[in-house]
Amino acid sequence: MKYELVSGFETHIELSTKTKIFCGCTTQFGGEPNTHCCPVCIGLPGTLPVLNREVVRFAIKAGLAVHGEIAEVAKMDRKNYCYPDLSKAYQISQLYAPLIIGGYVELSNGRKIRLHHIHIEEDAGKLIHQHGDTYVDYNRGGVPLIEIVSEPDIRSIDEAKEYVEKLQQVMRYVGISDCKMQEGSMRCDVNVSVRPEGSEELGTRTEIKNMNSINNIAKAMEYEYDRQVDLIESGGQVVQETLRYDDATGTTSSMRSKEDAHDYRYFRDPDLVTINVSREEVEQLRSELPELPADKCKRYIDELGLPEKDAQLLTKYRKISEYFDEACEGVKSPKSVSNFIIGQIFRRTETEADKESFDVKTSPKQLNELVKLLDSGKIRNNLAKSTLEKMLDSGKGALDFISESDMGGIDENALIELCKNAVESNPKAVEDFKNGKEKAIKALVGNVMKNSRGKADAVLAESKIKEMIG
Amino acid sequence: MVTREDVENIALLSKLFVPEEELDGLTKSMQEIIDFADAINNAPASDEGFDNINNLSNVFREDEVIESYPSTEILKNAPEQAEDHFLVRNRE
Amino acid sequence: MGSIAKIHDMLTSKQCSCAELTKSYLEEIEKSNGELNAYVSVTGAEALKTAEAVDKKIAAGEEIGMLEGVPMTLKDNISTKGIETTCCSKILTGYKPIYDASVWELLQAQNAVMLGKTNMDEFAMGSSCETSYFGGAANPFNTDHVAGGSSGGVASAVGGNIAAYGLGSDTGGSIRQPASFCGVVGLKPTYGSVSRYGLIAYASSLDQIGPITKSVEDASIVFDAISKRDKRDSTSVGSKKTTFDSLDNDIKGMKIGIAREYLDGVRDDVKEAVLNAAEVYKSLGAEIVYFDLPILKFALPVYYIIACAEASSNLGRYDGIRYGYKTEHYNGTHDMICRTRSEGFGDEVKRRILLGTYVLSAGYYDAYYKKAQNLRGTIISAFNSALENCDVILAPTVPMTAFEKGHAVSDPVETYLTDICTVPVNIAGLPGVSIPCGFNSNGMPIGMQLIGKSFGEAEILNAAYKYQQAQSDKFIDTKWGVKL
Repeated sequence: MKYELVSGFETHIELSTKTKIFCGCTTQFGGEPNTHCCPVCIGLPGTLPVLNREVVRFAIKAGLAVHGEIAEVAKMDRKNYCYPDLSKAYQISQLYAPLIIGGYVELSNGRKIRLHHIHIEEDAGKLIHQHGDTYVDYNRGGVPLIEIVSEPDIRSIDEAKEYVEKLQQVMRYVGISDCKMQEGSMRCDVNVSVRPEGSEELGTRTEIKNMNSINNIAKAMEYEYDRQVDLIESGGQVVQETLRYDDATGTTSSMRSKEDAHDYRYFRDPDLVTINVSREEVEQLRSELPELPADKCKRYIDELGLPEKDAQLLTKYRKISEYFDEACEGVKSPKSVSNFIIGQIFRRTETEADKESFDVKTSPKQLNELVKLLDSGKIRNNLAKSTLEKMLDSGKGALDFISESDMGGIDENALIELCKNAVESNPKAVEDFKNGKEKAIKALVGNVMKNSRGKADAVLAESKIKEMIG
Repeated sequence: MVTREDVENIALLSKLFVPEEELDGLTKSMQEIIDFADAINNAPASDEGFDNINNLSNVFREDEVIESYPSTEILKNAPEQAEDHFLVRNRE
Repeated sequence: MGSIAKIHDMLTSKQCSCAELTKSYLEEIEKSNGELNAYVSVTGAEALKTAEAVDKKIAAGEEIGMLEGVPMTLKDNISTKGIETTCCSKILTGYKPIYDASVWELLQAQNAVMLGKTNMDEFAMGSSCETSYFGGAANPFNTDHVAGGSSGGVASAVGGNIAAYGLGSDTGGSIRQPASFCGVVGLKPTYGSVSRYGLIAYASSLDQIGPITKSVEDASIVFDAISKRDKRDSTSVGSKKTTFDSLDNDIKGMKIGIAREYLDGVRDDVKEAVLNAAEVYKSLGAEIVYFDLPILKFALPVYYIIACAEASSNLGRYDGIRYGYKTEHYNGTHDMICRTRSEGFGDEVKRRILLGTYVLSAGYYDAYYKKAQNLRGTIISAFNSALENCDVILAPTVPMTAFEKGHAVSDPVETYLTDICTVPVNIAGLPGVSIPCGFNSNGMPIGMQLIGKSFGEAEILNAAYKYQQAQSDKFIDTKWGVKL
């Protein structure tokens, strides 16, 4: 029998507000242990939380970016469980009235992964286990998170990967998080179940906790899919449980121990008051959103005439697309801008991290000037290309490398004159060409280029020469 | 009915040990308190609801950094610490 | 004149220096605390340091505020930077907060002279002060009797004249009940009028800090000083107006309501004293109106469900990792946490944690916690309608007088019943003040309670003040402490 994979994701994303969700401590990553802490975030008796307004705003933006409905009334709840990384023995989160309801993420195959809701909550501290001892650092405790809970709509590992990438992309665009999986600012709990193909019922699911790379998500899901299918095929049953994925062995194992009775006893946090979100505020935040990647990609294809491949590469990171947008301002051919970025600048921003930060010496305005020179016919493509390399090396503008004499000299008449000269002064090559040696034309074009000091358009020159001797 | 198993379960959730010999007594005492709490079942049904006293909403802080405490202060009351961390030794 | 005004006069007229006054309080504490057990820690050096600063100001001819230099105390669940704050629990022994509670910041800014921290039921859970890890405080009228709880130490200290006033906390009656037992005044303010920041939580939606004082005037002065909006407490509102200027307002025509249910099951001597007070009010020109408040019979279970649920969550953090007591011998983190908690908490605290965990746990949440929250809404509406037909409500504070030591421990449910008259005010978030209204045949004080509209502290203190003024000749002081 063939089995279908069914998966849903709970994705935690740390918000890049300046301060923690309930106190004024910095959210900066790292720092010496227990130096980003205060009585509130280490849960000293008597301390009280006060909600960071920006957290609500960031979460609403996240919700709008994935087409969620922003609740008019939201409330904070306590999720009670005792663990050393949780300084109050409860996490302030949302269950009964989350800030965002519904929404979806659309995949390239056209399927929409529906979202159940998005809520805000606080992160826990960090535990380091050494020789059986536990060291606790609360710097991360109280850093704001959103948790994006999807419906079990994912049907393949490729879809899972794309779902995570899409979320990462859109949240970075909106600017609410850097979504760095390796630093833990984006983490996924992956629910996996299987069912006979064609079946509508959901199978028993397992939950793989705390996945922090897309590769591992794929490997863990694959392992878990195989494990569940084997189990069912051999007459067994999947047990609903929480799993951890071991990168070294590529296997999942149960996290359950007799010490964890799981009953979170959620109830309204009496220390915090109701959040009312006015529709005006929602519209205000909506107006602050940048153009989202899916919309941008579509615009590049439909309006700028870019190939889909180009559009996708240019919209993958917000900084690149903004660079592109600025460099395109007023140019005749957006495709040349795309070519310069993808063909040349990308060679200097090889890693994904480089592409994300897109720290390029040449400003988009400088590229724009270069492309405009090309547009106006003042320089030719090969000169533009070599000039861009120099610009990228130095950060200087195009005009620092192209002199007046490099520009403009070759109008059509001048070109015809140069071609005539080439034909007259190279009878041997003309003869060879006429005898069928196609390559001989190159020598003639080369002559034109040489005498024009590289300013002539080689393609145009070739066609003119062919007209003359053809 | 409050059962021994209920009490064992809530003790585990509460991170409290209940010695075997105290379990029956505690179950009985919990049952009495629960019987007392059960009085609310005779209350008239209502959908009055309760949000918070004074019906407050939208109390926020601005996203402005306030200097954190030095780790020496943060760790001052720790029963055990090492290398600027709170420490839980596995065994003692 | 109240104690605070008297001390203020003594200091400004230079009858004595603040240091001398402070020393005489410290000496009296030394003499009587062995028997009263009101203080669990005494901070003499800090007190004298503040007193000297006040003396310098007076010597320099500077004006001093009403509370400046007045010796006082804080219940041991109010955080004081660098000064042990234990909630009278083994689990917090040795804990010295690294920050000050907002109320203590406000009072320090006024150079309040804190003599020490006072005794209480462990984590404010109890009605006799006897669940304290340090043993209960004694009643200054008869030391064989309890001071009441949970703020028994403050009430005992104020009643015993070893503090001019103190701050307690009231979750289900913990200010008013011991005030009633010890023959002093205790004000539980409207929820939100005094910041809870730094008050070690028992039940967050019910807890309020308030003054325990010798007189209504003193309660008014202290309340006006501490009822400020605090941006560190999201539920804090502050007060709408000050109370002091309206204390002596004429109460002619004031409508004083008595809910019949408040008198059910109340001991005869207490009932009689409260009804006598109603007569006093009539003679002052107030109108007495009787009404029914049948929903009150559900207040007690609603209170215990909500309070214990919140407590079970609030007390989860005592795990031996960041502060307080940690067990000696264990095997692994889970074992360490369970042992620490089992050894560190007393029986009553454990019982309430277990009950709270139970009512929040899967399968019971709807039947208990959710239902109790709904009923809370109903109780609030019932009080609101009752207070549309009267200005204040008069009720007993406790159905009885201070009982003998050891009595409370035997039966938890019976002990919970002592809170029956005080908890409704906490559920509804309303202000309530307890003032002495007589003595029983054994010479133990009886207290009555005036309940007001939300943020109606001015009205209830006005009514309380007028009563105290009319009955001043009936006042009996205890034998203890500093006589001003």
